Amino acid sequence: MFHNSSQRKYWIFRSEDELENMRRSANQKFRNKILDSGKSAVSESMFLERHEEDVLFKHYERRLLDFCNAFKPVMPKSVVGTAMMYFRRFYLSNSIMEYHPRIIMLTCAYLSCKVDEFNVSCTQFVGNLLQETPAGQERVLEQILEFELLLIQQLNFHLVVHNPYRPMEGLLIDLKTRYPMLESPESLRRSADDFLTQASMTDAGLLFPPSQIALTAIVNSASRAGLHMESYLTECLGLKEDISKMYDSMRRMKTLLKKYELPKLEEVNSYKPKLERIHAEFGTASNKRKRGYEDDGHVAKEPRLVEEEWTDEDLV
Amino acid sequence: MDDQGCPRCKTTKYRNPSLKLMVNVCGHTLCENCVEMLFVRGSGNCVQCDTPLRKCNFRVQLFEDPTVDKEVEIRKKVLKIYNKKDFDFASLREYNDYLEQVEDIVYNLTNNVDVENTKLRMEQYQRENRDLIQRNKATLTREQEELEELLLMEQQGNEQRRLELLQEEQRQLQTKRKNKQALLDELEQSQVPATILLAKHKVRAAQLETQIEQQKQTVKPTTLFSTGIHLRQTVSLLPVPKIEEVLYHYKPLHVETYGPPVPELEQLSRVGYLNHVRAAMPQDTAGGYTSALACHRAIQDAFSGLFPLKG
Repeated sequence: MFHNSSQRKYWIFRSEDELENMRRSANQKFRNKILDSGKSAVSESMFLERHEEDVLFKHYERRLLDFCNAFKPVMPKSVVGTAMMYFRRFYLSNSIMEYHPRIIMLTCAYLSCKVDEFNVSCTQFVGNLLQETPAGQERVLEQILEFELLLIQQLNFHLVVHNPYRPMEGLLIDLKTRYPMLESPESLRRSADDFLTQASMTDAGLLFPPSQIALTAIVNSASRAGLHMESYLTECLGLKEDISKMYDSMRRMKTLLKKYELPKLEEVNSYKPKLERIHAEFGTASNKRKRGYEDDGHVAKEPRLVEEEWTDEDLV
Repeated sequence: MDDQGCPRCKTTKYRNPSLKLMVNVCGHTLCENCVEMLFVRGSGNCVQCDTPLRKCNFRVQLFEDPTVDKEVEIRKKVLKIYNKKDFDFASLREYNDYLEQVEDIVYNLTNNVDVENTKLRMEQYQRENRDLIQRNKATLTREQEELEELLLMEQQGNEQRRLELLQEEQRQLQTKRKNKQALLDELEQSQVPATILLAKHKVRAAQLETQIEQQKQTVKPTTLFSTGIHLRQTVSLLPVPKIEEVLYHYKPLHVETYGPPVPELEQLSRVGYLNHVRAAMPQDTAGGYTSALACHRAIQDAFSGLFPLKG
């Protein structure tokens, strides 16, 4: 249940500003780390700015969604939602300059398959990287397994994610049972589903409980169809004095969704070389971490194959 | 068990059922024959650890593990010195510390840990507490004596009662015999017809019987209980003080869900929720699945945390 979950306790934040601050400090942390390491030929202009980071983050999130949707066997929605949430939570406290989102996104998807009991073997998982040769898939697999522990640690071991999909089903059942005034609740489903998909690409999951997101999706879908549901909220759900606050949350959610825009291709293309350069330049610093966890006393896992860099184009 | 044997002559219990194993202070075993042979002169060294031993200190091994025997012996010795009682201490804590100390000493001596120092510690303690040890020893012996006295008294009482019973029986036998004799005499000498005499005798005999019965019933009850408490004494029967405590009140478990109340699992079908979910297939139900479970979970998830946060 959500009400006594780690998600409610640790992963619901008050405002967008709080999230922005966390991301900014993650960005700053990485800068300081590199500057402190005392490497020559480091200039501030090399680093990604926050808005650049955001564009790339969105780009890779989009890639994660596409990867999940194209996954064979078909991935359940909750698995996708969990993977997206992991990805978002991970980059709250880490910069994409430190850990490359290309590998983190796959690790998120892989971990979410495990946690949400969507049973695929690891070879089957990397088999979905259609552009890769079998050897390349093996290489990616090595990297996924290397980053898996790091990801779990960065998620603070809070692995259960409550997605809004089941709450939406519950609300639809409740609507059909207790609110016969609404004639065809099933007709709301399509646009509500779209709403949830869009919401998963925003910070909504870090700001609102899943049940509220689901309710907003349904109410939004109803109002688009010209239906009003106030009486359901007040009478069936018992929202009396809180109703204005509820509407406020819904408005905030809608603006979040409206604000979302797909990353522009030219922007992505112009920032990507920067990201690659940072990783190539400072890769050794993070590689040490990547290779295993000897420093932390974790089990070290020796890579079986020599790691070759692979590019995004291998993934699609 | 069956490989228990003398380490010196290798005789085992299996080969010699009457084998008696002995233990000395060092905790090493020897069989009785070996003890007789090695300690003819009354003293000698242990075969295994070379500790000087006396023959009179050999005891029959009671436990399978000879170290237990050794510990029992050591404990007896240590407790002779460390004989304080709980009322010799100001607080329970101190008493417990003291007991701990005693256990430490016993352990050290049993397992040969730091023996010299431990012995020194014991001697020092003995010197420092000589008076107390003596006094406690005295009280201990006094208690022992009192107990023995009590036992003796009880024994004496039993003996007396037995004697009384014996005497009583003898007396009864005598009167019966006298009675019979009297009948014979009367039959011999009296002019009264024999039938009347016999009837009279019968009545007298019956009387005697009842008398004896009565006597038996009025056997003096004992006044002393076997534990030494006087019977028929007015023991103060004050009611045990009652301890008043606040009674436990059951409060039903309340889980804050931050949302509207969720209908109970049992009510789902009555309210009509189940008309809107996929009915369970027969093969689903094998594992205990019902459509109500899935429906309940969905509604729980839908309502959990639905209300906006306060403040």
